[in-house]
Amino acid sequence: MAVIETLYKSSGLVFPLVGVVVALLLSVFIDPYLAFVATSWVIFGLLGLSLDIVWGRAGLLSLGQTAFYGLGGYFGSVVALNFAPMTGNTLIWALPAGALFGALAAALLGYVIFYARMGALQTTILTYTLTLLLWTVSQSFKLTVGKAVIGGDNGMTNIPGFVLGFGAKAAALGPNTVFATVVMVSAVVYFFSRWLMRGFFGRIVDCIRIDAGKTELLGYDIRKYQLLSFAYSGVVAGIAGAMFGLWANYLNPSIFSVQEALLVPMYVLIGGLGTLSGAFIGALAIGGLSFWLGGGVVGGQTTLILGGVLIILVLFLQNGILGAFDLLWRKFIPDANAAAKNNGAVKIDTAVLEQILKQVAHKSGVKISLSTDQVFKQFGGVIPVNKVTRFFEPGIPYSLIGPNGAGKSSFLKICMGLYLPESGKVKLGDLDITKMPIFDRVRHGMGVKNQKPQVFGELSVFDNLWTAAYSRTKSDKQALLISNQILDMLGLQKQAAVQAGILSHGQQQWLDIGMVLCLAPDVILLDEPAAGMTKQETRELSLLIRTLAKYTTVIVVEHDMEFVTTLAGHVTVLHQGEVFAEGNIEDLRQDDRVLDIYLGRRAHV
Amino acid sequence: MEFDYLMTVLLSSLSSASILLIATIGLAVVFGLMGVINLAHGEFLMVGAYTALTATQYGVPYILAIPIAIVMTMLIGAIVEVLIISRLYGRIFDSMLATWGLSIVFYQLAVLIFGTVTPGIGMPDYNFKIGDYSLAGYPMLMILIAILMLAFVYLLMTKTVYGMKARASIQSPEMARAVGIDSSRVNTLTFAIGCGLAGFAGAVLLPIVPATPSMGFAFSIKAFLTVVVAGPVTLTGSFLASMGLGGGASLTASFLTSAAGDVFFFLVTAILLWRFPLGISAKWRRKL
Repeated sequence: MAVIETLYKSSGLVFPLVGVVVALLLSVFIDPYLAFVATSWVIFGLLGLSLDIVWGRAGLLSLGQTAFYGLGGYFGSVVALNFAPMTGNTLIWALPAGALFGALAAALLGYVIFYARMGALQTTILTYTLTLLLWTVSQSFKLTVGKAVIGGDNGMTNIPGFVLGFGAKAAALGPNTVFATVVMVSAVVYFFSRWLMRGFFGRIVDCIRIDAGKTELLGYDIRKYQLLSFAYSGVVAGIAGAMFGLWANYLNPSIFSVQEALLVPMYVLIGGLGTLSGAFIGALAIGGLSFWLGGGVVGGQTTLILGGVLIILVLFLQNGILGAFDLLWRKFIPDANAAAKNNGAVKIDTAVLEQILKQVAHKSGVKISLSTDQVFKQFGGVIPVNKVTRFFEPGIPYSLIGPNGAGKSSFLKICMGLYLPESGKVKLGDLDITKMPIFDRVRHGMGVKNQKPQVFGELSVFDNLWTAAYSRTKSDKQALLISNQILDMLGLQKQAAVQAGILSHGQQQWLDIGMVLCLAPDVILLDEPAAGMTKQETRELSLLIRTLAKYTTVIVVEHDMEFVTTLAGHVTVLHQGEVFAEGNIEDLRQDDRVLDIYLGRRAHV
Repeated sequence: MEFDYLMTVLLSSLSSASILLIATIGLAVVFGLMGVINLAHGEFLMVGAYTALTATQYGVPYILAIPIAIVMTMLIGAIVEVLIISRLYGRIFDSMLATWGLSIVFYQLAVLIFGTVTPGIGMPDYNFKIGDYSLAGYPMLMILIAILMLAFVYLLMTKTVYGMKARASIQSPEMARAVGIDSSRVNTLTFAIGCGLAGFAGAVLLPIVPATPSMGFAFSIKAFLTVVVAGPVTLTGSFLASMGLGGGASLTASFLTSAAGDVFFFLVTAILLWRFPLGISAKWRRKL
């Protein structure tokens, strides 16, 4: 691999490292006043990092980061004021206290947001509301905690500065050393965040951003990951707030102000959304601009310029400074997506498939069935599913057919947990899953392929499969093995490194099916899997489904009658939400009633 | 008398809620019909207020200054839509950030042009009495104005060709284009109308809320929380949300402190969003 390519891949490590070294060198001889001001830019950068984790990676624009930042600042300062005199060192009190309080506040808010399954807009608004609420409350909030006096509008004074030494004689650091200290702390937080967000945790957070529904269908409890990432952003914001308190020696309610809250997205946007390090560049750019324009802090004509810059950024430079560099740089390295064109044919290897399935069947021991008992679903006056009782078990594939609006997809959605039925029961084996959340059903052995292909477009083909396989195996080694087997079967070996979003529609369908296979489910629900496939691919799919059905329960919703015929399984005809007829396809073709409502009487059926 | 006092408080709370509704409707129209949260909405309100104020300073009667404010804000709104908003359809957070940028530009321009302190215009001198308590007439008039605005928007959306097109464009943009609706022009008009409603609000509220560069800010926060709480059924939803939130906050404020009123507003917003994650009207079957 060329040096330039290696460098590209580790650019998030190398350049920040260079930045840290340069900043530490500069801290030795820059003007103390500049060092003092620049310290705040680094702190704002850290605050921006906390937003980038939530916004750039988890995909939710939070305007509550300054709330966690301010709470972390206040709480960290109160703790430092009271306990630091015992040790001299202030950081060991303020930083953990700030981090803890920021995390608690974020976790509490996150719990409400994610466990109530709020929409993206509501999330933004609720976080904004929290900031506004704190702004209002803090202006009249007066409290004395030991030596700390929170004085409402007057703020909190006498916050100790940065003290690194221990004992009564330890003195506060000068501005240059404070700058170096803040750079070091921020660097540690950044590199830890980078490690976290590049690992498994970050992968799942990315998946949730790209397609939350699919992530849940792979058996991941998305609420947990969202809550954790939000709480972690609270930790980062809390640390930034605590450092701000020590830096300014003073805190007042303006820390919760709307101007502050809306500056944070700017840092992230200017630097580059989702890059983590971009927030520091953005904070440096805005801070430097304000400094150069003479305001020192954002005010005066700077506001006008910032407003204009924000509009221009949103319109023309969506990916910020780092995004623009990235685009430029990628022209000089080979494009992994170029491999998208030379795909092999899909070839279902029944031997390998059976081996995987047997292995799983051996583990669980029992054949798992899916049954519904009188399930009933109503939307206003429409009843898409009217007291349907069905029993599906391994052996032969089951097809659901029927005219449009017959309730096929709604029935499938009740089985997978997207709709909760008004009455009736759904059972997986002997287990009542009527009210079980989707991810839990998947963990108990359900696999779902929806009508539209659902793949994580920004992830590579291989990573898509690995993420699915890991959900079941919880072992990197086994997940690697299984995803490679499935990759071979799908004929996508050469495109393993290609982004899934580049693949053609048909290939995405196969990849989606492949992800379901990686889960090795006991019960498989497929909604029109043959849509958009070629004749040859449809034949392979039919073979796949018949093989699967030997070991697992397979339910297919399909419109393609030829395809249903090749499955040679049991067919249920739904009509107006009720079971209309059932049997094998040959018998149904003799049934006048079925011909009337659905199959029709033309020669080709 | 206790009853009179209660009536007074109720009426003034109703008037506060109406003022919130007046300030909110334009935002609700833009959000409901374009899916855009216009964070500069409050600044359009301010532009309307300053336009009306400037017009009266040049000797135009107040009642005629109001239409001038509407035309001015509609014009600026149309320009903003073409230059900025039209490039950001479907990117709700980007359009939020862009309009936020716009709001600070407008704010700063207003500071440059008008300074931070400007004279208000006197409230039309009319008071009436309930028992021993005297109420200013103009704020009470706002209840009527709010009802008229609601009726205007309702009729505009249901009885005019434009309204049909606008509703078609938001429900299914591609289908609307396929049947020959020029949805980008419809959107420009929608945004202009939303801004015009804000301009009207700024002008009509001028006797109550004097024009300052930061006036929009105070309004836009509450206005857009109201719209989000209201959810997809914009008109009815906004009406209920502003009555509940604005009226409740005003009641709380008159019995406790004004800060308590704000806390009430934000807390109830948070609780409503928690209980109704997609807005209170998310599961309603009506559409307006």
